[in-house]
Amino acid sequence: MPPRIYLGELEELILLMVALLNKEAYGVSITEELKKQAGREITISATHAALHRLEEKGFVKSRMGGASQERGGRRKRLFSITSYGRHALEELHDTRNVIWNLITKVSPS
Amino acid sequence: MKSDFKTSAWIDALIENLAPDHLEEEIKGDLYELFQKDLGEKGFKAANRNYVINGLGFLAKSFFWRRSNTANSNSFIMIRNYFKMARRTLLAYKGTTAINILGLVVGIASALVILTFIRFETSFDTFHSNAGKIYRVVRVSGKDMNEFRAGISYPVPVAMKNEISSLENIVSMEYFGGANVDVLDASGQTVAMYREEAGFVLLQPEFFKVFDFMDTDFKWISGSPEMALVDPMSVVLTKTMAQKYFGDQDPLGRIIQFRKKYDFKVTGVVNDFPQNTDFPFTIMMSYSSLEVMAGEERLNNWFSVNDTHNTYVILRPGTTKEEMENEIAKVHAAHTPKELHESRHYLLQEFKDVHYDARFRNFSGRTISRETVMALGIVAMFLLLAGSINYINLSTAQSALRSKEIGLRKVMGSNRKNLVLQFLTETFIVVSIATAIGMVISEILLLNLQSLLKFRHVQYNFTDPFVLLSLLGIVIVVTLFSGFYPSLTISRFNPLTSLKNKFSTEMLGGMSLRKVLVVVQFTITQMLVVGTFIVVGQMRLFQNVNMGFNKEAIITARVPNSEVDRIEQLRGQLQAQPFVSSLSFSYTLPSGVVRPRSYMDIGRPEANAMEDYKVFEYEGIDPNYLDLFQIKLLAGRNLMMSDSIGNILINSTLAKALELGSPEVAVGKELKMGDGKRVTVVGIVDDFYSNSLKEGVDNIVMKIAPNDYYTMSIKLTPNREGELMQEKIQAIEKIWTASFPDFVFTYQFFDDNIKAFYEQESRYAKLFQLFSVVFLIIGCLGLYGLITFLVNRKGKEVAIRKVLGANIGNILALLSKEYIQLIVLSFVLATPVAYYVVNSWLNNFANRIDLQWWLFATPGLIVLVIALLVVTTKSLKAANANPVDKLKYE
Repeated sequence: MPPRIYLGELEELILLMVALLNKEAYGVSITEELKKQAGREITISATHAALHRLEEKGFVKSRMGGASQERGGRRKRLFSITSYGRHALEELHDTRNVIWNLITKVSPS
Repeated sequence: MKSDFKTSAWIDALIENLAPDHLEEEIKGDLYELFQKDLGEKGFKAANRNYVINGLGFLAKSFFWRRSNTANSNSFIMIRNYFKMARRTLLAYKGTTAINILGLVVGIASALVILTFIRFETSFDTFHSNAGKIYRVVRVSGKDMNEFRAGISYPVPVAMKNEISSLENIVSMEYFGGANVDVLDASGQTVAMYREEAGFVLLQPEFFKVFDFMDTDFKWISGSPEMALVDPMSVVLTKTMAQKYFGDQDPLGRIIQFRKKYDFKVTGVVNDFPQNTDFPFTIMMSYSSLEVMAGEERLNNWFSVNDTHNTYVILRPGTTKEEMENEIAKVHAAHTPKELHESRHYLLQEFKDVHYDARFRNFSGRTISRETVMALGIVAMFLLLAGSINYINLSTAQSALRSKEIGLRKVMGSNRKNLVLQFLTETFIVVSIATAIGMVISEILLLNLQSLLKFRHVQYNFTDPFVLLSLLGIVIVVTLFSGFYPSLTISRFNPLTSLKNKFSTEMLGGMSLRKVLVVVQFTITQMLVVGTFIVVGQMRLFQNVNMGFNKEAIITARVPNSEVDRIEQLRGQLQAQPFVSSLSFSYTLPSGVVRPRSYMDIGRPEANAMEDYKVFEYEGIDPNYLDLFQIKLLAGRNLMMSDSIGNILINSTLAKALELGSPEVAVGKELKMGDGKRVTVVGIVDDFYSNSLKEGVDNIVMKIAPNDYYTMSIKLTPNREGELMQEKIQAIEKIWTASFPDFVFTYQFFDDNIKAFYEQESRYAKLFQLFSVVFLIIGCLGLYGLITFLVNRKGKEVAIRKVLGANIGNILALLSKEYIQLIVLSFVLATPVAYYVVNSWLNNFANRIDLQWWLFATPGLIVLVIALLVVTTKSLKAANANPVDKLKYE
């Protein structure tokens, strides 16, 4: 059995956004995508905190790039999902599916 | 166009300063992007608000920044490291550490003593759940409303209760203080006799409703608070008293006899009252007993007042103090003639002021002004300050020695925050050790100071939040205060210069601060030493000044029964004793604290209106009185037993007040008493102080009064070899007891009675002495540390100077000059402040010492000499050292 994957609910959502946005994932875009896709409004600093936790755990990796005018010439930290991250997402997804199937078999009475 | 709008600069600054470098750019970028977006959609105001909120959000996440900072990812290891380094440094510089700890210990221990004392004083009667709502009815009278008393006439509370509806509760009590008690057995025979010095009170049952002693150990052991004090002649005892009188027997239903006259039945026993109450009751008799003891006439007398008869009230909600005072005035006016209710006012005093307002007194006789409490608090703070100043001085001075360590640490990658934390850890350890030792010492001090401070101390209770909080507070405040400045200075060192060893103290900005701190410390010390000199000087004046009578070798005792035959018999027996040189019976003693006083009016024969009369103090004497106390007769003759009460002696103050002319002229003049009786002056006595020297001389009239002899004074012959004071007193006691078999003999030395006048002042004197010694110790410890450091630093300079021909004097001057200057400066600063303070204190007294220059110069000189001694002993060592030892190192 592979080691258990520990992902908070918010972490999981953000990891999904990183995967979704591909190449274009950074603080602001993730925050906005989260609002659009899941209706979750969180502060930018919370996004940063979660991203750094994810990076510490090895689910995402990052590089600096993409300076632009609206950022006052500052670069952004672009995040991309690692294979370990993708694997973790799939694992979670599979686990849920298995459980869902069990639920459909048992209920409704 | 958009970029014309600026983001909040302070948020930018905070992020720049606090965010780790590698995250700063992305954070600022994201924030700016959001800001620009908001700017387009919602306008500048909203955009800026969001910017601030988001920015602060990042600051709140600073915890996560620190965690992600890989440089010191494990803060626990760092903290352990701080402690390890601190321990090593403290052990490496043992001398400095010891001085630091010692200075702090002295400061902290004294501060803890003061804090405990303040806490005790401020805890008085705070435990009653009604405390905030209770008022005491007080009496303010006199032409200028300058007579403040707490006693009120007996009918006043009764009328208040009946006629004022806005009273929620009212309780009256009369405190007797001491009395004789006899314990009777079932058949009414006396089985034991006691003389109690305090604790007797007449109390209404409402007392326990108004004062509930919540949160104390107080409780009823037997009897009920509602019923026990209702019937006349019932008494409730405290546990201690019940045990003293009845041992293990059941006290309920037993009889004790009060003042040889009144039988009281025990109806209840309660736990002892707590220490911190101004109701020091031990024997509580029902207030209704007054009907039996005082009689109807006295109880209905609106004029006479007894200052120990007090009344407390609780107002109905919504009634203000002023409204109630008006109500009371109305009731008073309705029952009394105009002269009385216009000259006497019953007002309300808040219960929480009873312990702090000395004007009205209270039953415990213990008051402390709020100013005194504050002054003590300030002294406690100064003590902590003085200890902290030592620490600051020594650690900044010592930091020069540690410059290499700091330099190396910086080179090895330690940042400023780490260094500051490390130094604060060091301080924390020193302060914690000092606090622990200080607590032990303060415990010892408190136990020994109980009699000086007049309070009971029962061990620190470490579950007590106050103790814990004050200890924690001391540790934190002292750590931050004394650690902050040195740690900042030290961590600021430039690693390059400090490693090159170019570093010297002169480069430290701390030098000037150090000077300021030394001056502050010694200014406080100087002020206290001056204060000590003044208080002690004033005490000496009190004790040595001629009070106008002799007070040496006089024993005084009460006379419980002034039947003429019995007194004459006692006089005969005592005078036959070889050790009795003189003996006198009188109403009162000429002076002293324990002394009943009685005042009356006297005027010239033509006196008519109230203001023609003078108030005088009455003294009933016998012919031996003047001789025994050596009160000088200025003119006329002494009184004889055959003199009627129409013949009087007056003192010269009264003669002057009545404008009778010179003593010789005044003799033989006729005067009129307040009740219209005529009296003749047969002699004038010289003035003596019937009050303490704090007050002036009273008007005094003396008469022969055989029925008023309540006091017996015996002048003893000087002790001959082999004679014991104790034996003489026992002989007196035997004769006295034979005359008054129903009473317990108690005696007092007359000079002790007078000393008691100055009890408070002598306590101040002792406290001042104590505190000035403490401050001097702390100050000198600090000086010693500084000079040690200076001597070490300047060792080479001293050696070179010696080689070049400087003598010891030059070198001593070189090393101590600076500190002597500082101490002289502190003297200059302290003198005016001290002058102002002691002058206003001395103004309290009618007889005061003059503030002469030497009273300031001597303490200054003493402090200077002690400081000089400290400085020179250390510098002398350096000056005597062989220069070769110092120089061959290079």
